[in-house]
Amino acid sequence: METLMHFLTVFSDPQLLLLVGLGTFAGVYVGAIPGLSVTMAVSILISFTFSWDVYPAISLMIGIYMGGVYGGSRTAILLNIPGAPSAIATALDGYPMAKRGEAGTAIGVTTVMSFIGGFIGIGVLALAAPFVSDFALKFQPRDYMLLAILGILLVGSLSQGSLVKGIFAGALGIAIGAVGRDPLTFAERFTFDFRLMEGGISFIAVMIGMFGVSEALLQLHHVDKDAVRQKITRIVPSLATVKKHLPLSVQTSTIGVTIGALPGTGGDIAALMAYDHAKRVTKNPDREFGDGAMEGLVAPETANNAAVGGAFIPMMTLGIPGDAVTAIMIGALFIHGLNPGPMLMIDQPDMFWFIVGCLVMANCFMLLFGLTGIKLFTKIVEMPRSVLIPLIMLLSIVGAFAVNNSITDVYWMLGFGVFGYFMRHYGYPLGPVILGVILSRLLDDNWRRAIISEREDLGNFFAGVFGSPLSTVLLIAVVLIFVSQTPVWAWGKSRIFAKKENT
Amino acid sequence: MQHIDPDHHDGTSDATPGGEPDKRRPGELVFALVMLLASLFLLNSAYGIAGFDALSSPGAIPMATTAAMVLSAAVILWNTAKLPLDRTESLIKDILPLTVVMFALFLVAFGVLLKPLGFLPTSALFLIAAIKILGKRSWGWTVGIAVFSLVVVWLIFRIVFTVLMPAGIVPEAELIQFFRNVFAGGAQ
Repeated sequence: METLMHFLTVFSDPQLLLLVGLGTFAGVYVGAIPGLSVTMAVSILISFTFSWDVYPAISLMIGIYMGGVYGGSRTAILLNIPGAPSAIATALDGYPMAKRGEAGTAIGVTTVMSFIGGFIGIGVLALAAPFVSDFALKFQPRDYMLLAILGILLVGSLSQGSLVKGIFAGALGIAIGAVGRDPLTFAERFTFDFRLMEGGISFIAVMIGMFGVSEALLQLHHVDKDAVRQKITRIVPSLATVKKHLPLSVQTSTIGVTIGALPGTGGDIAALMAYDHAKRVTKNPDREFGDGAMEGLVAPETANNAAVGGAFIPMMTLGIPGDAVTAIMIGALFIHGLNPGPMLMIDQPDMFWFIVGCLVMANCFMLLFGLTGIKLFTKIVEMPRSVLIPLIMLLSIVGAFAVNNSITDVYWMLGFGVFGYFMRHYGYPLGPVILGVILSRLLDDNWRRAIISEREDLGNFFAGVFGSPLSTVLLIAVVLIFVSQTPVWAWGKSRIFAKKENT
Repeated sequence: MQHIDPDHHDGTSDATPGGEPDKRRPGELVFALVMLLASLFLLNSAYGIAGFDALSSPGAIPMATTAAMVLSAAVILWNTAKLPLDRTESLIKDILPLTVVMFALFLVAFGVLLKPLGFLPTSALFLIAAIKILGKRSWGWTVGIAVFSLVVVWLIFRIVFTVLMPAGIVPEAELIQFFRNVFAGGAQ
């Protein structure tokens, strides 16, 4: 009963309801405008909402997250430019449909499917998270440490770019997170005897720099490109279309939730894997994939919205983010004095059920805004980049300054912005850096707890790891990711497959 | 061979560029080298925290991560050096065009002027200059758009989010108080 009350908090409070709606509305546009990403929006928002109470702040961010994951599909369909990474697969079939004059149908199906996917994701979150958190109470410090490493490696290996670059980026993030005085021994780390570095580098400055300023600088390359107009007709899809694709959408939602729940991996990877799955299971598509197949829209769009619910599972139960946006949300909860992890679920279950309620609400708003307001939408997306880019830069500066009222943070943000600009150009993924910064403390604390409890003995440590099935599985997963990227793996694979062909 | 447009950044957000997978972009080798040198420097600094004192020392994780950075940076450098240079791109045109350098400098100037001049004048200057350079439209249009968007941004963040920015030369607080008094007076 109490659970239900917490779940309904958001529905009964008009202010929170409004914030979720506003967030979702803004999210759809942020996601749709190429050059504005959800990660950017949420990281800038943290700095603005930190003086608020935790409930309104979370409502707004969840709205933006949900809306943004969906919004990316709009421009993918209309312009062949995915507004967000999670919509890359959507463009493959969505744009050909729009070219045939079926943009309205494509948007309608996408919206309804995102809604279905979103609900399945939230459902799994609500059912699974309490169990996972019970289970997580048995986790040893070493398991947390391994999970953190696994998360950083996963996002590095599955996102674009090579794993080595992902490892470099993740390690860099951990190092950035370690700057300042060590909280346990008060020893200085990477401060180079500068007093202003003793407090560490504000992770918000790092985030806004990497996702805001670097993106804006990159967009300067495309100032002159014009938006293409498309005619949009009927949007609301027929019930028959929805029914026809329901089985596929359930399958791809499951993929989405699972990928989303893995630490570090989010909607972008889920969408690509779901697209691949749809391609394999669809026997006789009305049209070929890549030529405007409806299945090619259904799969990635259900998966990326289902991944939202999935990404909250490790975040709420373990304190390990499911993707870059949840990494930033963990930061937001820290700022509000909450510490996500199994204890949060036990001490403050209201928080969890409140978040679930917000997600449900945001999902409904997404359906509403998705099926209406298309005229306004085309206007806003056509906002010239010559205005948009300076505004992003202005907001980034305000955001970086607002957290601590310090100019130093603004300079840090600018530095990381320029650095991130080069990283993007040379194919280094930025996700692992943020994950590294957020997880740095958790990794460090748990390693030291683990090794102190084994009396500084590595032999005992590994005996402990192999004595517990969970730790063993995690360690093997970490090692496998490494091995899969080395020549040994390719060599072994070619040996095994060569043998099969011979026999 | 299929010719690929050298301007292959398609404008998508997080998922952007990285160039062609089998070619080295201009400046990539230098970047990789700088990363390796920086990692070595950080490793040395991490060693300085506590040396090989204990596995649980404050320097343990920093040393492990910087060691990982050194190793991966070395591998990246090696891999990058093996790739042929992408001849269709140039540093000035594709990696670091003048506009990008200029805007980076603009942002630094913004940071320098923010405290002494205050948020509103600095932002107005920045927006007008930036929109004029990027939009290449008339002064009237530029100033109009800049001032309008600044007012919207200021209203949202000052009033809704109550973010305090340096007031500088503009008597912001007095101004707000004045309007409050006016409205309060009207209500009575």
